[in-house]
Amino acid sequence: MTSREHLRYLAYLGAFLVFLAVLPFQIGVYYRSFVMFTMMWVVLALSWNIISGYTGYISFGHVVFYGVGSYASAILVADHGWPWIPTLLVGAVVGLAVAILIGYPVLRLKGPYFAIAMLGAAEGTRVLVTVWDSLTHGGLGINLPNVENSMETYFAMLALMVVTILVSYWVGHSRFGIRLNAIREDELAAEALGVNTTLYKMAAFSLSAVFPAIAGGIQANKTLYINPDGEFLLLITITMTLMTMFGGKGTVIGPIVGAILLYLFQEVVWVKFPFFHLIMFGAFLILVARFMPRGIVGLFIARGWARKGMVH
Amino acid sequence: MGAQPPEIALDIRDLRKNFGGIRAVDGCSLAFPRGQISGLIGPNGSGKTTTFNLLTGVIAPDSGAIYYNGDNLAGLKPYQVFRKGITRTFQITRIYREMTVFENMLSASRLSVPERQGRARAEELMAFVNLTHLRDEYGGNLSYGQQKLLEFARALMPDPDVILLDEPAAGINRTLLADLLTHIHRLQGMGKTIVIIEHDMNVIMNHCAKIFVMDYGLKIAEGPAQEIQRNEQVITAYFGHR
Amino acid sequence: MEQAEIRRVYLLGAFIVAAFATPFAVGAWSGNIFYDRQWLMDLITVCLNGLLQGGVYAMYGVGLTLIFGVMRIINVAHGEIVMLGAYLTWVLFNAPEYLGLGWHLDPLLTMVITLPIAFALGFAIQKVLLNAVVGGPELTPLLITFGVGIAMINLVEWIFTTDYHTIPYQPDAFHITETIFVGKNKIISFAMALAISLGVFLFLKLHRLGKAIRATAQNPEVAMVCGIDVQRIYLVTFGLGAALASAGGALVSIQFGFNPETGVQYTVVAFAIIVLGGRGHYLGAMLGAVLLAVLENLVSFMVPNGSAMVEMAAYTMIVGVLLIRPQGLLGVKET
Repeated sequence: MTSREHLRYLAYLGAFLVFLAVLPFQIGVYYRSFVMFTMMWVVLALSWNIISGYTGYISFGHVVFYGVGSYASAILVADHGWPWIPTLLVGAVVGLAVAILIGYPVLRLKGPYFAIAMLGAAEGTRVLVTVWDSLTHGGLGINLPNVENSMETYFAMLALMVVTILVSYWVGHSRFGIRLNAIREDELAAEALGVNTTLYKMAAFSLSAVFPAIAGGIQANKTLYINPDGEFLLLITITMTLMTMFGGKGTVIGPIVGAILLYLFQEVVWVKFPFFHLIMFGAFLILVARFMPRGIVGLFIARGWARKGMVH
Repeated sequence: MGAQPPEIALDIRDLRKNFGGIRAVDGCSLAFPRGQISGLIGPNGSGKTTTFNLLTGVIAPDSGAIYYNGDNLAGLKPYQVFRKGITRTFQITRIYREMTVFENMLSASRLSVPERQGRARAEELMAFVNLTHLRDEYGGNLSYGQQKLLEFARALMPDPDVILLDEPAAGINRTLLADLLTHIHRLQGMGKTIVIIEHDMNVIMNHCAKIFVMDYGLKIAEGPAQEIQRNEQVITAYFGHR
Repeated sequence: MEQAEIRRVYLLGAFIVAAFATPFAVGAWSGNIFYDRQWLMDLITVCLNGLLQGGVYAMYGVGLTLIFGVMRIINVAHGEIVMLGAYLTWVLFNAPEYLGLGWHLDPLLTMVITLPIAFALGFAIQKVLLNAVVGGPELTPLLITFGVGIAMINLVEWIFTTDYHTIPYQPDAFHITETIFVGKNKIISFAMALAISLGVFLFLKLHRLGKAIRATAQNPEVAMVCGIDVQRIYLVTFGLGAALASAGGALVSIQFGFNPETGVQYTVVAFAIIVLGGRGHYLGAMLGAVLLAVLENLVSFMVPNGSAMVEMAAYTMIVGVLLIRPQGLLGVKET
């Protein structure tokens, strides 16, 4: 890709940003938080995409980073009186630490074994958080001081989303990303062709952990109440998975589009049918995995509207 | 050619590997000459591919040494061997099926080389093996012969000094094979060391300066084509006792 | 065996010993161990309960390992089929009551109905969703069965809510000695699980279809050449796996509380069992099941917050075993 193309995409992003920066002043609290949560899902889907889309290590437990991030932030704000913004950084560090702790053993597992071990890691962390009540208040959850911060959380999430998009863009257009793809396609061949797979997987995993941890922190300060079952909800992982698969895994635009469409649909239409919508979620995942493995982006490629591959 | 014996590029000494009691490579010593095309032959299961896997760090040897430019490669990880300038292809092609031809190429670019240069080299090599028209096609959509060429070109990406080719001729048609052999000779002309595992005796006998024969994990003969063709032990290994 | 291989076996043994020692260590540290006769009897009771529970685990674990062995598919919805089996049993158990008949259907008897339903369900899932993707990228069936699981959870939640249910069935204790006793429902479940497992084992060993299943597990291509309709074997295998899972559900329903979300736990348990025992290995699955169930009961007995920490046993086993010796206790190394 030429640098002109990079500039064009940056210009799109810039225009999008200006729109999102002006928007919150034009809308009320309800829609402001609605857009905030849409941006959060963009962050989560893009993050899941880095490890699972590019590297092919399907994580069924990615909510764990979101959960520990939100807990780190909530504990510091509620129990130690910190202002909430610096707690996000602590959340990021905790997310990173958990990623290394989990990733070091679990990334050696392949295919389904990694997926299920991640499922176990997330559930296990939920249990630990529930049990360790001296730190986390256990199953009761944590109440945060009640403040109106829809504007602050909006901009925090916007900033996070921009960073996530830029990092994803870099991953998606660099030799780093290509090498992650190579790991997905054939780990042994990748290793023989110069990729230090252990290091690359760890790097991808860490990157994909940091953003959800921060997003979790912002979310905790917006919803003002968290508990283990809510923060380590399997459904959050499923949603990340589905959004990314639906939009197109292993691309930058795919998870963004997938997250926005699915969140809109979820909030506008499906929320009227609470259980039915989750049944549809499962059915939808089946359909996407079975019939459109490359997602919406794949449909565009098939029609010749988009080019194959990520680097040109 | 001068009277001096050629310099050794890869010096394998007493290499051993057991797989659950099966001695796949059993104290094998091979010395591949620098700047030449060598052939590695032997009946099925004689330990040729295992030797390649040991050379490139895909599996770790039980004992023995692999000297290359004064370093012992034994026990290194595959990516470390790659960084020393040794690349390979696989018996059954292992191209990345869901990545485009260009991405396949770029994946093997050295990170020490600036990206612009890596891209230029990828373009150049795609032209070298006539795959430029398939640049943005998924690897999996290529024909088997094209995949072989892609894998070959990908192995050349980091500008390696030693290229290990595992059955490059298997499953490709004669025209393509002729092309491939031309490429191999051009590489040799650039001073590269090439080792070929092959069952196609035409390729081995007509194109390799030196041939090494393995059987039961051991080297049983080495020498130029004419010598190997007359070697009693080699004939026995291939055809059994008369 | 290679030297390195032998070392791994020892290491795995050490890991399992350490896993069993942990609840004791934690128990001693947190003062949950009492050094008297009564406690010892309790301990024996706990181990016995674990053993009996292991029988049920083994049965649905075998279902998962059967599917994996034949198709190399990890059925992430396995636990959800267990859960579904429990609900089906519960519905049939209560159906006469609802109809005003004033009696209940015996939950063991209902298996006559629930197993064929589960078989048909498994058959259908395989036919519609999975047959086309067997042998392809291994992550596609993973995502598909994940989707199936989610749909099942929420379908059941939609109909029955998230309330916990259980079936009161032979809850009184059976005294082995004065102080050691176990619930009759557990003994019945264990016997039933053993009988069904044995039945499946004999079916695989002796029946024509069973032999065909084993042949397909060994090598699908060769099986195909030998005139076995491999596609049909896949259907039967998944059906059989689902039937075993739902039988597990029936036996779970008379011992434990269940709700739509407990399915995930069963999946993890079944997965832990086949990892521990060796993928595709039936005796291994049984051994793994007993080990895991006893360990879980020890954890719940001695560790503070034990009932929550039980889940950790399965996760630790999965990760530990996969890292030390991926083929598990009895499995053969895959190449």
